[in-house]
Amino acid sequence: MANKIVIDPVTRIEGHLRIEVEVENGVVKDAWSSGTMARGFEAMLVGRQPMDAIYVTERSCGVCTMVHGLCSSRALDMAYGCKVPEAGILLRNLMLAALYMGDHIQIFYNLNAPDYIDITAVAGYKGNDPKLLAIKDKIVALVKANDTAPFTPAYKGDQYTLTDPEIVTTLVSHYIQAIEARAIAQKCIAIFGGKSPHQAGVIQGGVTYHPNLEDLVKYKEYIAKVIDFVQNVYWKDILFLGSGPLLPVGQAGLGGGYNNYLSGPEFPLDNSGKNFLWKGGVVTDGNLGAVQPLDGQKIAESVAHSWYDYSNNQPLLQPFEGETKFNLKKEGAYSFLKAPRYDGKPYEVGPLAWAMTVQPKEFMDIVTKLNIKPGFLARHAARAYQAVDVSKNVMKWVDELASLMGKGPLIVNDDKPTPDSAKGFGFVEAPRGFLSHWAVIEGKKLKNYQQVVPTTWNASPRDANNVRGQYEQSLIGIPVPDPENPINVVRNIRSFDPCLACAVHIIHPESNRILKFVVE
Amino acid sequence: MLSSLAKNKVSRRDFMKACAAMAVYLGLSESFAPKIADAVENASKKAPVIWLEAQDCAGCSEAFLNLTEPTPTQIILDTISLKYHETIMFGSGYVADKALDEAMKTPGYVLVVEGSIPTADPLFCTAGTMSDTNPARRPVVETLKEAYKNAAVVIALGSCASWGGVVQATPSKGRGVSDIVGKEKVINLPMCPCNPDHLVGTLVYYLTFKKAPPLDIHQRPLMFFGTLIHDNCPRRGHFERGEFVTNYGDPSQAEYCLYLKGCKGPFTFSDCPSRGFNDNVNWCIKSNAPCAGCSQPEFYAGFSPLYEKSNDVNLPGIGGVPSETVGTVAAAVTALGVAAHLVGRSVFGKKKEGDK
Repeated sequence: MANKIVIDPVTRIEGHLRIEVEVENGVVKDAWSSGTMARGFEAMLVGRQPMDAIYVTERSCGVCTMVHGLCSSRALDMAYGCKVPEAGILLRNLMLAALYMGDHIQIFYNLNAPDYIDITAVAGYKGNDPKLLAIKDKIVALVKANDTAPFTPAYKGDQYTLTDPEIVTTLVSHYIQAIEARAIAQKCIAIFGGKSPHQAGVIQGGVTYHPNLEDLVKYKEYIAKVIDFVQNVYWKDILFLGSGPLLPVGQAGLGGGYNNYLSGPEFPLDNSGKNFLWKGGVVTDGNLGAVQPLDGQKIAESVAHSWYDYSNNQPLLQPFEGETKFNLKKEGAYSFLKAPRYDGKPYEVGPLAWAMTVQPKEFMDIVTKLNIKPGFLARHAARAYQAVDVSKNVMKWVDELASLMGKGPLIVNDDKPTPDSAKGFGFVEAPRGFLSHWAVIEGKKLKNYQQVVPTTWNASPRDANNVRGQYEQSLIGIPVPDPENPINVVRNIRSFDPCLACAVHIIHPESNRILKFVVE
Repeated sequence: MLSSLAKNKVSRRDFMKACAAMAVYLGLSESFAPKIADAVENASKKAPVIWLEAQDCAGCSEAFLNLTEPTPTQIILDTISLKYHETIMFGSGYVADKALDEAMKTPGYVLVVEGSIPTADPLFCTAGTMSDTNPARRPVVETLKEAYKNAAVVIALGSCASWGGVVQATPSKGRGVSDIVGKEKVINLPMCPCNPDHLVGTLVYYLTFKKAPPLDIHQRPLMFFGTLIHDNCPRRGHFERGEFVTNYGDPSQAEYCLYLKGCKGPFTFSDCPSRGFNDNVNWCIKSNAPCAGCSQPEFYAGFSPLYEKSNDVNLPGIGGVPSETVGTVAAAVTALGVAAHLVGRSVFGKKKEGDK
């Protein structure tokens, strides 16, 4: 008999997410993913001065902070016809790079690692590292005082839960260091953007902040600490866990899903609009040998199972034509998320999709050698490697900016008036995946504004053809031996790095199809 | 925080020094240091905290995690007992729901709310299930009403929880905590996101004096929101001289007043100019971006369009100030002065000629 399990709230993510799974014979047979909170920024922006969108959409998410302000600015770069000066490009890159590293650190250590450790193992630590002993004392004291919130209560562990005192204590120590490292990364964003979360300095045409050498030195000093953590703690932990205690999880490929991957171009290397550090692309049905270029025209959203109505019940709307009309009583709807589709099909976005479309050699060699298949461990590995990739480039951009300093670099093109009528879209390959904003201006005001957000791609409900979203599909087959303890379900969902606040604005299984992931 | 200093056995002298610094930080005389020391050292147990997320973006939680002195880890391990916080806690689903229900049974906790409360329909924001046996979505507004009953004090963290903030004008009609449960017990710490220093300062004040700090009519602590940004703005001199930024990219205007670019500093009460963000590494105006007035009840829609010069100079009302709040009255007087300035100068757009 099938058991229905409701997981609400899914914690240690951004936003409000509810997951329902149907479990039969100890594995997930069907799944539904619901975003349970909406604000309605897109509807509020209609009729407003276009630049307000930069400020308002920045607030879509405080975790993926800065990417919406950046994406909106890029959409208005196009609508206003602004070419961003080189220094503006570099300053935007430096802020986004800091976000990438700080965010990925937080996702792994603070939001996901708790799913893999038994914190009580710390009590058994027998080593003599003073830092780790201090952590042991602290945790033991909390246990003695009978006050272990927020670490308890939690789901019970399973065979994938780490219980070795040395490993667990080290990870708890890294959990604490990660909180500090991500705060330093946020400071790096604030140096140029005023504050973080919700930097204030990115606008259409570039940035508002005029760089000076003293600030660049400060940025370098701070970001060096973050880079050190990424390369010498984060990446090493992932290599250790992925090739050691968690290798069986990786090889089992739990949580794969459709093997459709999509990523956008990011980190522009100049202002030509043609040269990027990552060029992005589209992989369909796990066919890694045939990466297609991304075509924005093929993006469209369905609201068939979402709490919205489209005029004339159209099955899909392209974002420029998109609508945001709430209907909370809609029959058959179960989410505030729309269902984005590319060429009519669901796609995964995020670090794994980035790795599958960009295919960095070092990373591909490692997963091939270890025979790791797509799933939640692969997502963590790809995320860590992506942070490493950013960390290798960031100092170069600081130096490039420094070399412009003597020339009084232009940071922004601020002489373009609001156009009477224009359209613009912007892409950001954000830490959570491919993000796009779509603005339509008429009479100098916004006529339409649509955001198609990474978590909307991943966490979408079923579409008009009743095809599941990627979370829903990736949950099929996940082992849940104990219905009281669906820990693998939350492990899988958290590996996507859900971010529901910005996402709002699980059957026809392709039976047991095993998709090729490992590159031969 | 201070208790972690105490427990980590730093020298008595350093600990008292930190308490004195905290006293000054809270706008008190240094003679309060022993009282603060007593409150944080001799607390019999950690203060229980329930942190609800309504229509939020987690930006205020992130801001809290950005604290450097004290660190968030010190606060969570040494000072508070964080019973429920969706972004941080280890438990999920029914385990998390149960933790919340248990925590709400014992009166006397600090309730922190992040995010606005939807008033168009409760179903615009739900978290958890109605009960063990009823899987229906649990509206956050119901959870808030229940959590409010046994709370000793409620901190509405960020502009959304204070009065709806950027969600106020959306179709979901987000409103502040006070709009739902009344003003009693509620301290507003607006801004988008909150300044985490304000949260720590308010917590320490509350733990020391067992009552809310003096508040203005918008229930904001005067120690943080008693002065007008415009009065303490490092660019004020340029305002007086009529030197305004007209092109963000022009290096010769880099330090000029942002009023013509839509700066809401003349209408906004907050200590941003002295406190800054992210360990005071920067703040909006210092990065050459106009203030959006995020600590004011008018934010966001009342200040829209944000990047255009504000035409009307309606200043935020300051009536009904308690007697101990002379500072605010002074600020109100200054604010009126500013209004006169704005009418006299800026509205007529006196821009320094010869600058480009």
